[in-house]
Amino acid sequence: MAETVLNMIGITKVFAGVKALQNVELELKKGEVHALLGENGAGKSTLMKILIGMYQPDKGNIIYNGKEVQFKNIAEALNSGISMIHQEISLVQQMDVAENIWLGREKQFMSSAIIDIKKRYAKTVELLNELEIKIDPTKMVKDLSVAQMQLVELARAVSYNANIIIMDEPTSALTAREIELLYKIVRKLTKKGVTIIYISHKFDEILEICNKVTVLRDGKYIDTMGIENLSADKLVNLVVGRELNDMFVKYQTTFGEEVIRVENFTSAGEFYDVNFSVRAGEVLGFYGLMGAGRTEIMRAIFGIDEYTSGNIYVNGEKATIKTPNAAIKIGIGMLTEDRLRLGVIHSLSVIANTTISVFRRVCNRFGVFRKANELNVFQEESNTLSIKYSSPYELIGQLSGGNQQKVMIGRWLLIRPKVLILDEPTRGIDIGAKMEIYSVIDGLAKAGMAIILVSSELPEILAMSDQVRVVRDGKIVFECPGAEADQVTLVSHAFGV
Amino acid sequence: MEKLNSDSRENNLINNILMSNKAFLMVIIMFVVIASLSDAFLSPTNLLNVLRQICVNAIVALGFTFVIGSGQIDLSVGSVVGFIGVVMAMLMRYANVPVPIAILCGLVVGIGCGALNALVISAFKLPPFVVTLATQSLFRGLIYITTKMTPVTRLPEAFIFIGQGYIFGIPVPVYLMVIMIIIMYIVANRTMFGRYVIAVGGNPEASKASGISIFKTRLGIFINMGICATVAAVILTARTASAQVNAGVNSELDAIAAVVIGGTSMVGGNTNIIGTVFGAIVIGLTSNGLNLLGVETNYQIIAKGLLILFALILDSMTAKFYANLRKKQALSSMEK
Repeated sequence: MAETVLNMIGITKVFAGVKALQNVELELKKGEVHALLGENGAGKSTLMKILIGMYQPDKGNIIYNGKEVQFKNIAEALNSGISMIHQEISLVQQMDVAENIWLGREKQFMSSAIIDIKKRYAKTVELLNELEIKIDPTKMVKDLSVAQMQLVELARAVSYNANIIIMDEPTSALTAREIELLYKIVRKLTKKGVTIIYISHKFDEILEICNKVTVLRDGKYIDTMGIENLSADKLVNLVVGRELNDMFVKYQTTFGEEVIRVENFTSAGEFYDVNFSVRAGEVLGFYGLMGAGRTEIMRAIFGIDEYTSGNIYVNGEKATIKTPNAAIKIGIGMLTEDRLRLGVIHSLSVIANTTISVFRRVCNRFGVFRKANELNVFQEESNTLSIKYSSPYELIGQLSGGNQQKVMIGRWLLIRPKVLILDEPTRGIDIGAKMEIYSVIDGLAKAGMAIILVSSELPEILAMSDQVRVVRDGKIVFECPGAEADQVTLVSHAFGV
Repeated sequence: MEKLNSDSRENNLINNILMSNKAFLMVIIMFVVIASLSDAFLSPTNLLNVLRQICVNAIVALGFTFVIGSGQIDLSVGSVVGFIGVVMAMLMRYANVPVPIAILCGLVVGIGCGALNALVISAFKLPPFVVTLATQSLFRGLIYITTKMTPVTRLPEAFIFIGQGYIFGIPVPVYLMVIMIIIMYIVANRTMFGRYVIAVGGNPEASKASGISIFKTRLGIFINMGICATVAAVILTARTASAQVNAGVNSELDAIAAVVIGGTSMVGGNTNIIGTVFGAIVIGLTSNGLNLLGVETNYQIIAKGLLILFALILDSMTAKFYANLRKKQALSSMEK
């Protein structure tokens, strides 16, 4: 019976009123490869960031090798033997492989005040050879392929001689051959007693290399199971798991003319040959995992990002959209995914956030406005949204996430676009507010707006969409009418099973 | 993830009152302190003097409030003020241009300099700090060249009256300052432009995604700065009855000080016009108080620096305090 090397108990983390983790536990036994599984927003990254010392838990304990620990920063965690391969490449592009691997640990190569570069290269070669990674240590990172960068990250994490290595989506850029290499390295490490936490949404990898699986959902701990009796189907059900109560039934409406059509839409490196169209009154749901490319598609349509090729037609007319302003002018609106970064203006009040895009309507010829006018314009829409605030003049940051989102929706309602893109509109919002937002969306569709709903939440997609598209690796891989869609099919396509 | 209730209406009220009136409280405290230490302080002559002395800085600081509120900075203001003064003075002295026309020309120069800053920043996507650092030298250089390092004197009486005259016993610059305060207050709080400044300062990406033109907003901010610089230059030049070669040098620091003490955050996202006014008064009172107490001018610079530090630290501490308070509330409500 292997000993327990790590025990995370009762971990709770709150961010600005949102419970990212609630009473989560994780137990690791020495030498095992433990998969951490869950949808977007389940809490996996947050849990790992707490483990490596980037965040501090608001509640809960971490017991490492029998002793209770709390890492105040990443350096402490590294020195205690916990290292991490990040999902995003975090190498210094302007330095070479060797420099990057030993970044922060140059002292071992210094006898005086100068770094012995030859010695550093030698040690790098030794490390890479042992891992059978064929990369020239003198090459600059910016000249490597993304796959090679990931391998360098792997080498760096291993070089810490850590007891626990966290691997966050370690194969996202690797080809089959390199993935085999990764497995080899993992097996070598576990034979030496290293414990691995493996975060991935690739079921075939989990089934191949992992011993145990812990599932998180919505910030809560669900279950831990041994891999022996698990299959792809069972994993899908674990991830999705919730009972699909008919919490919201969207009424079928008759659809109008085609409002927006996207053809051969491509952005090199992000999404390829995307084709779809939406009619007035229709809700087109885009499902997929984080990083699948849905947001990138929408941002390009809305003019925030550029794209390589393809055409957008609004009401039959070809549209050239280079800025959000241009998109708004031809009738496209977008509630961005990262509402805190791209939507909510914290320095402004609730009412200001709502009226900001139609401010011309509020002001007179000279650009001056009267408070009364602004209030009128605001109340045009805010009453239907039942936003909970103490006063419309309070700073928007005082509102809960759900209400902030409603303010954002209110902003778009005032603009009255022909097609509204909603990117993860209910992320981080409680069930009550979710329902209210669903009925708002339903109302909009009934009034003739075309709606594109991007969501990683299955129940939401299934409840709201007239048509469903599943995106994976930048391509639409599956489509079906909303009425015919089922959880397992969608998740399987999203995960690529 | 679940939502938590934020019961922070009271929090916000106290927060707002404290934060926006920090400078007002400082003014009151300083009044009391200085009055108790010096008999000469409360005399009408002295108080009017203080008011007149803060006019130039206050007006520059008003324009600066928008710059900082949008998350930017303008290091060239001092040079622009000096340059406008030189242009006006030379036109009046050597070209016999009537005073109103000269002032109008000064306005054109002020707007031009501001527009130049904005255009260079936007066109080449350079940081405002760097661009205005360069134009600071540029405009100062233009002053040196045009004046050949000699001040321009013998200006028309009518012009000098603007800086040195009294109407109903109150110095003329004070009237100008009050008018500017009213105008800037309206612009900041009652116009589309003022709203956009705060939006851009608080979240430029979100502002763009809402259809706000960062370019136009920036242009407006720097042109506004130029207009304020013009009014300030008129008063400064008229008061000294000459266009000095080094007029306006280092005046950016005084302006930043007034804005910061007044409570407008250096990071951007709010424009506290009234706060800036009180900030300017605080600085004026500091100089006046130290003068009355016979402290050397060298030490006064140290006092100014300490004042700014104090204001910034107070800002940061109160912000942290309230952030922690909110977090504790969030956690405790989770337990219910």
